Amino acid sequence: MASSQHVLLSPAELAYLHASLSLTPPIRPDGRSPTQFRPLVAETGILPGTNGSARICFADGTEAIVGVKAEVERTRTRHDFPSLDESAEDDDDLDDNQNDVVKGDNDWVEMTVEIPGYRDDDAGTVFLSAMLSEALLADGEFTKRLWINQRFHWKLYLDILLISPPLSYPLPLLSLTTHLALLAARLPRLKSEGDEDPLFDDDWAAAPYLYPRPSEKGSKATAPAPAARPPVTLLVMAVGNNIIFDPSKEELAVADVALAVSVGESSSSTTTTTTSTTSSKPTAMDIDTEETKGHNLRLLSVRTIDPPSRLTPPGIPNASNSAYGANAGAKDTEKKKQQQEQARTAESEAVEGVWKAPRGGAKTLVMATMVQKVLEKGGVADEVLDALDGVDLN
Amino acid sequence: MASLKRSFESDPFAQNISSKVYVRSTKSGKVQKIVREVYLRQDIPCSSKLCNACLKIAPRDAANRPIPFVLSEKPAGTSVFTQGHYIVPDTNAFLSAMDLFEQSSAFYDVIVLQVVLEEVRARSLPLYNRLVSLTKSEDKRFYVFFNEFRLETYVTREENESVNDRNDRAVRKAIKWYNEHLSKASKKAPAVVMLSNDRDNLRKAKEDGIPAYSLANYVSQLKDGEQLLDMIPELEERDALIEKKPGQFLYPEHYTLSKINTGVKNGLLHQGIFNVSPYNYLEGSIRVPAFPKALLILGRENINRAVDGDLVVVEVLPKDQWKQPSTQVIEEEAVTMNENPTEEGSDLISEKERKVLQEEAKRTLAKTTEGHALPTAKVVGVIKRNWRQYVGHIDQSSVSSSAAQGRKQDSVFVIPMDKKIPKIRLRTRQVAELLGKRILVTIDAWDRTSRHPTGHFVRSLGELETKAAETEALLLEYDVQYRPFPKTVLDCLPKEGHDWKVPTSMDDPGWRDRQDLRDLLICSIDPIGCQDIDDALHARALPNGNFEVGVHIADVSHFVKPNNAMDTEASIRGTTVYLVDKRIDMLPMLLGTDLCSLKPYVERYAFSVIWEMNSNADIVGSRFTKSVIKSREAFSYEQAQLRIDDASQQDELTNSIRTLLELSKKLKQKRLDAGALSLSSPEIKVHMESETSDPIDVKTKEHLPTMSLVEEFMLLANTSVAAKIYEAFPQTAILRRHAAPPKTNFDELANQLRVKKGLDLSVESSRALADSLDLCVDPKEPFFNTLIRIMATRCMMSAEYFCSGTQSYPEFRHYGLASEIYTHFTSPIRRYADLVAHRQLAAAIEYEAVHPAVRSRGRLEAVCKNINVRHRNAQLAGRASIAYYVGQALRGKATEEDGFVMKIFSNGFVVLVPKFGIESLIRLRDLAEPEPAATYDAETYTLTTTGSRELKVELFQKVRVKVTDQKDETTGKRGVKMELVSTY
Repeated sequence: MASSQHVLLSPAELAYLHASLSLTPPIRPDGRSPTQFRPLVAETGILPGTNGSARICFADGTEAIVGVKAEVERTRTRHDFPSLDESAEDDDDLDDNQNDVVKGDNDWVEMTVEIPGYRDDDAGTVFLSAMLSEALLADGEFTKRLWINQRFHWKLYLDILLISPPLSYPLPLLSLTTHLALLAARLPRLKSEGDEDPLFDDDWAAAPYLYPRPSEKGSKATAPAPAARPPVTLLVMAVGNNIIFDPSKEELAVADVALAVSVGESSSSTTTTTTSTTSSKPTAMDIDTEETKGHNLRLLSVRTIDPPSRLTPPGIPNASNSAYGANAGAKDTEKKKQQQEQARTAESEAVEGVWKAPRGGAKTLVMATMVQKVLEKGGVADEVLDALDGVDLN
Repeated sequence: MASLKRSFESDPFAQNISSKVYVRSTKSGKVQKIVREVYLRQDIPCSSKLCNACLKIAPRDAANRPIPFVLSEKPAGTSVFTQGHYIVPDTNAFLSAMDLFEQSSAFYDVIVLQVVLEEVRARSLPLYNRLVSLTKSEDKRFYVFFNEFRLETYVTREENESVNDRNDRAVRKAIKWYNEHLSKASKKAPAVVMLSNDRDNLRKAKEDGIPAYSLANYVSQLKDGEQLLDMIPELEERDALIEKKPGQFLYPEHYTLSKINTGVKNGLLHQGIFNVSPYNYLEGSIRVPAFPKALLILGRENINRAVDGDLVVVEVLPKDQWKQPSTQVIEEEAVTMNENPTEEGSDLISEKERKVLQEEAKRTLAKTTEGHALPTAKVVGVIKRNWRQYVGHIDQSSVSSSAAQGRKQDSVFVIPMDKKIPKIRLRTRQVAELLGKRILVTIDAWDRTSRHPTGHFVRSLGELETKAAETEALLLEYDVQYRPFPKTVLDCLPKEGHDWKVPTSMDDPGWRDRQDLRDLLICSIDPIGCQDIDDALHARALPNGNFEVGVHIADVSHFVKPNNAMDTEASIRGTTVYLVDKRIDMLPMLLGTDLCSLKPYVERYAFSVIWEMNSNADIVGSRFTKSVIKSREAFSYEQAQLRIDDASQQDELTNSIRTLLELSKKLKQKRLDAGALSLSSPEIKVHMESETSDPIDVKTKEHLPTMSLVEEFMLLANTSVAAKIYEAFPQTAILRRHAAPPKTNFDELANQLRVKKGLDLSVESSRALADSLDLCVDPKEPFFNTLIRIMATRCMMSAEYFCSGTQSYPEFRHYGLASEIYTHFTSPIRRYADLVAHRQLAAAIEYEAVHPAVRSRGRLEAVCKNINVRHRNAQLAGRASIAYYVGQALRGKATEEDGFVMKIFSNGFVVLVPKFGIESLIRLRDLAEPEPAATYDAETYTLTTTGSRELKVELFQKVRVKVTDQKDETTGKRGVKMELVSTY
């Protein structure tokens, strides 16, 4: 689904919104602070038949359910000869030349996103699913969790369902729900050893979590946070130099730039992160891990999202509005031509209080600030992850 | 936002709902999380007649009467529970001592918990069936309490708790509830006692304050407990094994299940049924799909606790350990004699066994030609034990002198009747009583630390060599259902009993679509004294010069309707078993010998196959119909033969038999031309004294032309019916096939014939085989051809019933009969397969609607599987019975007879005596004292002895033997003993 649907705002309204969001500090229609999220309700384990599931409701009425199902699958044997190539490939930066160690494959995760009212091959749906799986698979760490032995692995099916109409761009909602579902997901305990056909413990209670937690002691009310966590994709937008998190549909309609920033947390500090953008020129940038007190955050991916504001109809300044007497009486065709040219220039020039769709790319400085705001100590991602820790995972 | 999860706090019914979550791994390797909701209720009665509270909530039948309670208000007491008690056994109590609960002297008022019943079913289906039949018997008062559905007794699995522990806890909780519940109902409530043989469970019960006893403890409280004590296996300790030092393990450990699965899937390990050679207890073989020939498994260590019939997994040994199959007879008894059962040897292989193996090794080394060595394998795991109850007797030599008198528990060896089963170690207090008796025992376990399996005593069948004990032993050994028909089965019989008649009015529903063939001259030809007459025949000339020939088969399916109790019983029995002096019927007597039996002079329902044939016995047309017939005469083969031969008899009936005979000869010729085999097995008949039914004489069966008359038409009927039902039900027709034997089966025999007689055996097709068998003649010895036919028969596969959907059409072929398609149709009184074929044919000719039982492929496959086994067992039981009676008939007599060497070993040879149809092993040590030295030439199949007796014995050689009877000390069977008198 496109991010731009159903913006039923007049140019005047858009202009008003844009103006109030450009203030310092910005004034959001629902009175939130720029970094504040909409309140949400979350629970896990709602689908007993799945390996893990979660449901999140946003206060605006959007609601999503995610179910995680795992199946044992035989790993296709690779026809490469590590013994021969090992020395040759040693120079490469690729660190996949050890064959005995745990290895993952992106095929092991299958993600389907379902948005009511949209076909599953709709460009928007596909894009959403690509963004979510990209965040999950970007660092290659996740699929290693699905490794059973040399010959078998878990195949994970992630079914992501938006069960309300898409009132706002559902990316953050779906991402958070997926995050919770993966946290709650458990895989049967392996009993067999080595490369035998896997045999599992029949006790579900003994099944370990996909994201193992540090030893569960003390109070059960707050589940201890796992050492590593699945990624979270946050939606950030900028209006002028103001950076606004978790935009509502209306806010997104006037965004100058919108970014989907995926952040992961891992116990081990790996320095390489991949970054990609949807713009035709993929720019890879290396961003070092931010050392934070609570979370060891890593940037996994950044994608710019085409903000719906680009497709909004522009307002017409009084100067070029015939209803206000401009060029009234002009009759001959030559004059008309001139007027059209004038109107074109008028459109391109910003007129105070008149809505004009943003043009051009995002400013790199703004983008950098957005990313930084996400990652910084005590930043939004930190806050979000802290908040999610409060969800009972049992 | 309201939570979507079921909230247990707010829901008023929440306590009634629970859920079970577990992981299920399927065979195909799928792993699923399973969530089951459990709805708990409070209206499951305790079923004690003492309890009024439960009576109110007890389920009611259609007439609104409560279903009567099971447990008595005055249950029996024990020395501890004088006020009376109910028994709640746990799973392993049933698994290890089911026989105990079937006793009539004790074990009344038993509560069988659902969790226990389910566990028993998962562990052992036969035991489960026995338990279910116990719960159905009215006098034993066994009550199944559904504890898993009763709110108060339901337990959820705790974290890190194994399923077993959880189930044990459920048992304890149920007992606790019962005790509390009953104490409310009555002041002098009976105690509810747990019986278990699991030490851990007993300990936990004690901690919970639940009355609990081990089986042995409990039985000793009973009045006549002493005798029951032997039926109890030893207390189980789960971790007992680990405490033992690894050095004490005699056998290698079995692989883990996952390792086995991986291996089997990858083709590194092979799964199959383990078979022990009947001549050498240390040699087993296993046929696996991956190899054309069976793999050999040699020696105790490689056999690794597998018992004949177990489903095992084997690993092929490296090539340097490949061996030739043993040419020696090794009997367990002879080798392991004088072993002490109380002391476990520290060596796996005893001195003597080692010696035997050494000799073996020498022999193979001496002339090991690469080509002769066969791949060997070792057992690495047992998938499924096929242990049953075994008949045997106590080994006299294993009994210590003190044990024979005292009543203290003692270990002895039981030697099973089946030589393929190893000795079983048994602990018993009644050695003195059990000596010299046929006893029934079961195997409980076979630990790595124990050389022999351990078992426990079930019951005594009686003195050795008494007819009753031996017959029962035989029936038990071959798993023949010999108990009388239960009431539910007898209830299915027609109410009129013996007075039942074919209705006189043609309007009766019984006459619907039936053809009236009462005016035909039908007669039956059977062995003397046959009561269950399945078939009758007629033939008459038609105006066009052709003949009408009819085969009329008893219409059993009219009386036995699908899926009633009688049908189920018959499908379990599968076949009637004929012993020398006894017949174990598949159907109740009333049907078998009267209502269905096509007796002469009375009207009977029949299922008729009628052909029109020309004088060349070519079939012009055929039809099938249900009919009513009236047999004119029931001939014996001999009578019929006399009548045919007597030229003065020119009546219509005799002439029609002559017509039949003529046609049958042509049919037979056609069949032989098509490549049907004429096979042979030694058939003899035991003559009994009519009064005492003691055997007095043994004779070889004579073959009369009238026998093949009946046989030919039965074959023809079967083939015609097979084609018809296959046409109607291509997927579900019940057929019979005889697979072509693999060529390798004949390798040995062909080689023997080539070496010894210079004859060639070609086995490309049944036709080629039939022809080459015809050429296998020795002009000096008329019996030689029969001998070869007997041996060839043993190389064949056995014929089997199957469901047409499971095989492709070319596989339907009956090799022996050279028929493309075949079934059994002609003996529905004594074979269940025929009954199914009758139903299918009736549906095929649209006489009746197709019953689902006849159409369901899964069900038919199960039926086929069962009747194949039953059929085989019935044959074996019949043969064993003959062997027993031959032994009895020869008792005290010694005769000299001619025999032939059938099989030759390096230390003995097997001789077949055609006159008695018996074969027996003559060992070197039987030839002379001291045992003569011998050299065996495997290339020429010649055994040359030197020393105390000088002989040269060759394969196929005719020898003179002295036949006497002898009680075989090993098996306790009276059998035939042969001594070599001279060679020809």
